[in-house]
Amino acid sequence: MSKVTNIRTFMTGLALGAGLVSTAMAQDKALIDAAKKEGAVTWYTTQIINQFARPAAEAFEKKYGVKVDYVRADSNQVALRIVTESKAGRPIVDVFDGTTVTPILKKEGLVERWIPESAKRFGPEYYDKEGYWIATNLYVLTPGYNTSMVTKAQAPKTWNDLLDPKWKGKMAWNASSSTSAGPGFIGLVLAELGQDKGMDYIKALSKQNVTGLKVAARQVLDQVIAGEYPIALEIFNNHAVISAQQGAPVDWIAMNPSLAVLSVLSIIKNAPHPNAAKLLVEFLASEEGQKLYRDADYMPVDPNVPPRDPSLRPDGKNFRAIYMTPEQVQDAMPRWTDIYKQYFN
Amino acid sequence: MSTNFATTGDGKSPSQGAVRRLIPLSDKLIFSIIIGVILAILVIPPLIFLITGAFSIDLPGRAREWTLKNFTDILSQKGLTASLANSFIFAIGSAVFALALGGIIAWLAERTNAPFKQLAYFTTILSLGTPYVLYTSAWLLLLARSGPINTWYRQFTGSTDVLINVYGLGGMILIEGLLWSPLVFLLLGATLRNFNPELEEAAKMSGASTWDTIRRITLRLSLPSILALAMLVFIRSIEAFEVPALVGLPGRVHVLTTDIYDLMHRTMPPNLGAASSLSVLLLVLVSVLLYYYGKLTRNAEKFATITGKNFRPNRFDLGAWRYVGGFALCFYFFLMIILPLIILVWASLLPFYTTFSWAAWSRASFINYGRVFSSSRYITLLGNTFIIAVVTATVVMLIASLTAWLTVRKAPGSKWLDQLATTPLVFPGIVLGVGVMQFFLNMPIGVYGTVWIIVWAFTINYMPYGVRYSFAGMLQVHRELEEVAAVSGASPLLGFRRIVLPLLAPSLIAGWLFIFLLATRVLSLPVLLSGPSSQTMAVAMFDLWGNGQGPELAALGLLWSLLMTSIAVTFYLVARRSGTGIHGQH
Repeated sequence: MSKVTNIRTFMTGLALGAGLVSTAMAQDKALIDAAKKEGAVTWYTTQIINQFARPAAEAFEKKYGVKVDYVRADSNQVALRIVTESKAGRPIVDVFDGTTVTPILKKEGLVERWIPESAKRFGPEYYDKEGYWIATNLYVLTPGYNTSMVTKAQAPKTWNDLLDPKWKGKMAWNASSSTSAGPGFIGLVLAELGQDKGMDYIKALSKQNVTGLKVAARQVLDQVIAGEYPIALEIFNNHAVISAQQGAPVDWIAMNPSLAVLSVLSIIKNAPHPNAAKLLVEFLASEEGQKLYRDADYMPVDPNVPPRDPSLRPDGKNFRAIYMTPEQVQDAMPRWTDIYKQYFN
Repeated sequence: MSTNFATTGDGKSPSQGAVRRLIPLSDKLIFSIIIGVILAILVIPPLIFLITGAFSIDLPGRAREWTLKNFTDILSQKGLTASLANSFIFAIGSAVFALALGGIIAWLAERTNAPFKQLAYFTTILSLGTPYVLYTSAWLLLLARSGPINTWYRQFTGSTDVLINVYGLGGMILIEGLLWSPLVFLLLGATLRNFNPELEEAAKMSGASTWDTIRRITLRLSLPSILALAMLVFIRSIEAFEVPALVGLPGRVHVLTTDIYDLMHRTMPPNLGAASSLSVLLLVLVSVLLYYYGKLTRNAEKFATITGKNFRPNRFDLGAWRYVGGFALCFYFFLMIILPLIILVWASLLPFYTTFSWAAWSRASFINYGRVFSSSRYITLLGNTFIIAVVTATVVMLIASLTAWLTVRKAPGSKWLDQLATTPLVFPGIVLGVGVMQFFLNMPIGVYGTVWIIVWAFTINYMPYGVRYSFAGMLQVHRELEEVAAVSGASPLLGFRRIVLPLLAPSLIAGWLFIFLLATRVLSLPVLLSGPSSQTMAVAMFDLWGNGQGPELAALGLLWSLLMTSIAVTFYLVARRSGTGIHGQH
């Protein structure tokens, strides 16, 4: 984007902003009142409950007096639930998030096209131009290791280090069809090395007997902390930081490249609580909401709210990531899963 | 009790003919029809939906197509044979292990002079209040690669390997067997308590050693009960979900129930056709097994050891060995209660789970308990769980007591009532879940996603237990009492309400509590049917474990078990007074 357009956008934004402030406030008031009237909002989330979902729900309830019913599951299960319920003609959910939920539901025609104006400050890569989703936070998937079993010096630094025979049988990852799992790592390798070289690497890695666990990436990391395995692949690097702050013997590895994916938030079409749904999305996209992500040691997408540990975020120099949109992930996931099943199951 | 009443009058009950005229046949017929319709509405739809789902394909925009494709699909998958084999190995292993463990404890507690018998009863009561999810999680923590047992093994031997890999069939059998051992203890204990000692004494007089007597008389005579019990645990393990899901899936050991769960939860869109056809297969398998179980228990009468004679079974004098027996009873208590309790208390104090160490101890706090108490979500879960359990238990006992009354009083069509009410025995929880879900997805009633769909499914699931409890109590109430009421001008319903219900009360309360306790801790039905605002404690615990929040699960689970144990103690006291025994009459 050229400097000129940048300035122009900025100026237009400023002018529009000034004119819209009063109407926006009036609209907000109307939205809040309507949401309060609805009284509740249902949120199907992939966010870990005690790390983010519960504090966020409590903050929202406290601020607006609108009750948040939340259910936590992995992306696939959230999507599955919503599809089943809509087929039954029983809309329950209002708002949902996840790394791949929105593209699945978009195909089923279940996603409302609405995003809050405020989300546009995040930058174009963090909201959907068609209006189906906004990103709330960035996930960076890296290896993690148990620091009482492996020292920082011993820990693998590159993909080649992972092929060292000393790690044979010592690594674990999530075995489900997800980015924070074996298939996600395969996708990353293929994106970086291309089809041929990528498959060579994947075949070599398959000889390392990586243990596939049918549990969420968070629990893979917990098993590493508990000492079940020295190394976890494809974990969320911020989870390692959260646990390390509580004293857990765990650290993450800034391996180049790592996979970066977006957690995106959408509203269901014909939501039972349409106003409360919008208000919740507004809230999570607001600076206040973004600070909740920051305080939970997640990586907010708001440029004004940097993560508490800035090193978590790939800077493009020392720590490089390949970014994938929810649509890219969803389109390629079946292929990655097939490769995973062929070589690692 | 009933004979006392009958002889207080003129020593003769009113003539049958007179009463028949006083209780119009049509009244009971109307009751029969009403109860029959209710039972049919409960039991038949899930069956129909399962079967249509299994034998047809319903694509949007096209007419339903009848086909065997769902079956050929699942049969052609190579996983099915493995799952079937795993299901059988798992169930046989669990039955054998539970029987061996529970049987030894029952014999020691009921038939020997070993000390510390009370511990065995105490263990059983405590285990009644513990959700299976919690118990399984505790054992997973104990036996994990980094758990205390494997850590100590490595420290002692210097090996880098593990002694036990819990995530496999062995671990599943071990944990499932432990879960069932209290039930075995209860049921086998009852058999042994009612044992006529004359036969054993005869053996001893003829010079048989204690061991020979046990082997050739005691064991031989208890064989039908033992076999029937083995069959029961076998069937329940085929139907089990908790242990296969928590222990089997991470170790990639699939059984039939987890395959059904996978088809519903891990494929996109959910493969209802395949899930239904697999459910039908499981249904047929369980029906066949139940048929043989029924035969087995009927034949058991040939081996009747209770006669009209008054006797008390004597207790074997183990001599010095009694201390070994006492040690075994203590060890059982330690294994079933203390070990899981230690690991759960330990886990509940930690911010994140690690095995025993001083470094971890320095991080210990009550923060997880604080979270449980401060989160309004747990109040909602508590409310949901209690509403579901209370309503289910009440509805079941109401319908069941009427069914038992009509059956025992031989009302027209009552054979059918009994048949309908006990049919749900063939449904494994997860299969019933699929059926009920299909039913409500196709019905224009807003029940899906609320607690009421779970109440509905539980009511079906527990109807047979309710009928057993009511039946056992009903057999003790002689019809003469109602006839007296009828002669005095009371309607049959008034007679039921004023005479039968009060006399039945202890059995009904025992049954109510049993169903209440089951409904609060079972996972397999709510895990499929609960929506965001209708989750139960067991589902929340399952989620907490799956998301790696073991410490919070431990805190929540301990508090929950404390509450449920106090209810279980009440249950035990009531059941003892009613004389029904804790598990009704199987």
